[in-house]
Amino acid sequence: MNALLTPRRLLIALLALLAAPATQARAADLNESTEKAMKAASAKVAPTVVKIETAGGAEMVPGGPKKGGGPPPAGIRKGTGPTTGLIVDADGFIITSAFNFANKPTDIFVTIPGRPQRLVAKVVAHDQTRMLTLLKVDAKDLPVPSAFPKSGIDIGQWSLALGRTSDPDAEHPPSMSVGIVSATNRIWGKAIQTDAKTSPVNYGGPLVALNGQVYGVIVPASNRAEGETAGVDVYDGGIGFAVPLEDILAVLPRLKQGQELKRGLLGINPQGNDAYNASPIIGAIQPDSAAARAGMKVGDKITEIDGKKIPNFSTVQHVLGPKYDGDEISVKVMRGDKEMEFKGVKLQGTNTAYVSAFLGLLPMRDDPGPGVEIRYVYPKSPADIAGLKIGDRVMKLAPAAAPALTPIQNRSALLRALQQLTPGVEIKIEVKRKEGDKVETVTAKLIAAPDTLPEKVPLPSSAGKALEGQPKPKGKEPKDPFGPGCGDADEDASFGDDKKEDEKKEDKKDDKPKVETGFIKRTNEALGREYWVYIPGNYDANKSYGLIVWFHDTTEASKDGEKVGRTFRDVCEDHNFILVGPKSGNKDGWVPSETEIVMQDVKTVLGQYTIDKTRVVAHGQGNGGQMAFYVGFNARDIFRGVGTVGAVLGTNPKENIANQPLSFFISGGDKDPLIKDIKESKDLLIERRFPVVFREMKESGKEYFDAATFAEFIAWLDSLDRV
Amino acid sequence: MTTRYGNWLLAALLAVPFTATPARAADPFNELAEKTNQKMVKVFGAGGFSRLNNYGTGIIISPDGHILTVASQLLDTSELVVHLYDGQRLKAQVLAVEPELDAAIIKIRLDGKKIEEPNGLKLDYFDFAEAAKRPHAETGDWVLALSNTFEIALRDEPLSLQRGVVMAYTKLAARRGVFEFPYTGEVYVVDAITNNPGAAGGALINRKGELLGVIGREIKNTLSDTWMNYAIPVTAKVDIKELVKDKDGKDQEKIVTETMLSFVTKGMKGEYKRVNRTTTAIGEGGYHGIVFVPNILDRTPAYVEDVVPGSPAAKAGFRPDDLVSFVDGEPIASINVFNTWIKKNTRSGQVLRVEVRRGEALQTIELTLGAHPAKTATPQPAPMPKTP
Repeated sequence: MNALLTPRRLLIALLALLAAPATQARAADLNESTEKAMKAASAKVAPTVVKIETAGGAEMVPGGPKKGGGPPPAGIRKGTGPTTGLIVDADGFIITSAFNFANKPTDIFVTIPGRPQRLVAKVVAHDQTRMLTLLKVDAKDLPVPSAFPKSGIDIGQWSLALGRTSDPDAEHPPSMSVGIVSATNRIWGKAIQTDAKTSPVNYGGPLVALNGQVYGVIVPASNRAEGETAGVDVYDGGIGFAVPLEDILAVLPRLKQGQELKRGLLGINPQGNDAYNASPIIGAIQPDSAAARAGMKVGDKITEIDGKKIPNFSTVQHVLGPKYDGDEISVKVMRGDKEMEFKGVKLQGTNTAYVSAFLGLLPMRDDPGPGVEIRYVYPKSPADIAGLKIGDRVMKLAPAAAPALTPIQNRSALLRALQQLTPGVEIKIEVKRKEGDKVETVTAKLIAAPDTLPEKVPLPSSAGKALEGQPKPKGKEPKDPFGPGCGDADEDASFGDDKKEDEKKEDKKDDKPKVETGFIKRTNEALGREYWVYIPGNYDANKSYGLIVWFHDTTEASKDGEKVGRTFRDVCEDHNFILVGPKSGNKDGWVPSETEIVMQDVKTVLGQYTIDKTRVVAHGQGNGGQMAFYVGFNARDIFRGVGTVGAVLGTNPKENIANQPLSFFISGGDKDPLIKDIKESKDLLIERRFPVVFREMKESGKEYFDAATFAEFIAWLDSLDRV
Repeated sequence: MTTRYGNWLLAALLAVPFTATPARAADPFNELAEKTNQKMVKVFGAGGFSRLNNYGTGIIISPDGHILTVASQLLDTSELVVHLYDGQRLKAQVLAVEPELDAAIIKIRLDGKKIEEPNGLKLDYFDFAEAAKRPHAETGDWVLALSNTFEIALRDEPLSLQRGVVMAYTKLAARRGVFEFPYTGEVYVVDAITNNPGAAGGALINRKGELLGVIGREIKNTLSDTWMNYAIPVTAKVDIKELVKDKDGKDQEKIVTETMLSFVTKGMKGEYKRVNRTTTAIGEGGYHGIVFVPNILDRTPAYVEDVVPGSPAAKAGFRPDDLVSFVDGEPIASINVFNTWIKKNTRSGQVLRVEVRRGEALQTIELTLGAHPAKTATPQPAPMPKTP
């Protein structure tokens, strides 16, 4: 059976055809025979295709993340109509698409062809990576389909999508939609793609080859989103997906035992956001992850996984995509010029969340060093306990266990050094005292970043020497010691056009008076969309400025443009911030696809002014706040903070990552009908161990910050580069 | 068996470049398309505003230019025009419309001729009576659709040909309450995107060029938000509820079965009369006596809390905690679904096949509905004993 398409057979058939004069006559019946073959294939699988009916459960299921980011989550109305399943074990196990169970029905009934009585089914387990659900009914001796060998699946082969929902009678042939295999190894290696029509009509049903073997089980899927309903929006769109039956059968024993199958995680993060071009250098490692346990280190360059060459991070995703929790892989890396191999690296289902370590001080900005001047010491923090004082300079630092202290050149180096450490670690700090230039070494035990804010952040915050040490002559490695990335080991690669940036900065310095300040309306020439920037009147290119990206609420009259500029004027002048306000093209709310446009505006501003990349913040109100959450999570190479008023998280939060940390300032009015959901969003973020400041404003509905909260917001903004 | 086909097909496909004359199917699509095109018209009528198109498609079913199309707003005009395959532009007139078959018969009217007179057109046509005699097509049959989808073909340009298979032969109402559509009979669901603007009234044919059905309108499954691609079969049949007077002059409901064939036959002669149909008022349905759990959610499952003693449900053996799951095969997702179904579809004396979930199995119970008990007067408190 499996020899269906072996080259030898094909060759024989071909030769036979060429030799035979009957070629024409036989070819003449091509359509006839193909049609027959299709029906025969369907008939062969039909006894294993079951109808599933459900009752109870939620009326609406949350919309997929694809839509959920910007506008209020639309939600998908989950039908009560029947769905389809495929028998995978004679003892009553049935696999189906998790889509059918997104609304968590209370009762599930299965109709098996040839058996008049409906059977009650129970959910046994889910495969969370492939969005499948295994059901069990009390039945024996059921027919099972044969799996089409994965290695034999070729693009262009006929594929039939079968379903049980169109016809109430399970004794009739299942519904059939015909297409071809469009691609293999889709959705990070987890699915076959077909152009047969797939929709709720046949989700959970089999995708069948012309010989009656099953390629896989039809599921809605999207390579951009996860969840039961991801990919539903492309129904009947000529793009359908099926999880190979061979893969399902491989994990069936685990599913049958009720094991929830999760994705296998290595626990590494890339340096930048460009998964395709950047070389696969590890930018961060999640604590206690598979990679951490194996002994991989930040800076290691991955060269091979399971014998497959790894040119970039995207390949890492492709190789790891199909893996499950508990799968073992082997990884080769280059550490410096030494090749290292890690064998039997056991992937994990969940990563321990990364928790930012906290020393308890604010560094002075824009100081080329060496060393970092302390601007503020958090009361009762490790730094305070160790006796560090405002004005002291941190010169060297290392974990207490390390043989020698590492010199700290500047703020960026300090941030980077601490990002690699975890709470609980004891460190030694060499400090040069303000009083008397005395050099001392103190020890401090790092703690988890607290949610406290400094009562009043001392000013000035900048040494005003941001451009000092900037290379004047071109051709030299441009090295901005403060701004870029702050923590990206590969910081200068972040924006691609750093050279231009530096040139512009030089211009700014030379023609300082020419910098236009105040509220400026701009048009993005390429896209013809408006946005505005607010540059404080006292702009000085020698200071680095934080960037607040304001996402306006699209539905209600909210603080827009000039109004926001006025609100923040003093803040911008005193605390060195620049405001930028992109505009949504959509009245009903921001849409995730606007992220790219927003980022263009943001990057333009980043390229024109001296920006402190540790203080780039997405800030928004209402559905603008929801967009701020979304953009914050999806442009993590840029954003370090998200501040929202009356906004709900649209999607599940991603993990906290060491080299791309995010902090949150979340607020809502106690009279806001959404306050419960806002609190839930906050809890979700805290669960993921993000530093979150939450303020519930009294006697407030959907208004912007009250005065007290605004003051706290400013303190939060100005302390984002705390260590 | 099927393996052989697989091999065979691939081999045949690969063989194509090697043979001197390319392999041809016995029923080449181009010839079929050309022949069928001559039996089709482009229809132009009312519309052209608020998403309603003023164009559609029609199937010629007589040499004199009788045309079968769908019953749409397109026909609400005195200026109905058709374009023949050769580009001729002719006037047409509506002869009969039956919304419950979603079908209409129009006829070409030549200037200076009466509509009922022979007009000597001698057009190519589909013999509808022949077509209606054939058994219906099956799931998996290859089909071709011809229509003026999106008005892409102008005047003498041929209609668009689409290929697909019969995805299912079924009632659109298989998922009940999903479609707002007057036609309730079986349809061909096809796996090609056939039902687009202008396609309604197009032809669904098989590989031999035989007429299978009329492409329907654009309708959306409101439950799954998916558009349906379907054609109404030439074998279509619907039950229409006719309103007749009984001998006492009272209104009575009578079920009349109407077939597409009889509609077409009578319609072509101008003899089709629409029956006086009932607008089924929703009554209270038959009485069961099941007391459900408090219906607090829109989708509270239909759990039995209690049965009224002596009621039909009690006699049938319903028990507390039974979950009513199916009635006459229809899934009962909630108490609301059950109540609506009972009101719409039942009357006293009717026997229902109810499947209830009891523990881990489904039990089938026959429930004979009764008449609603007369509203019992609110029990009066017993008169106070007179105190002496």
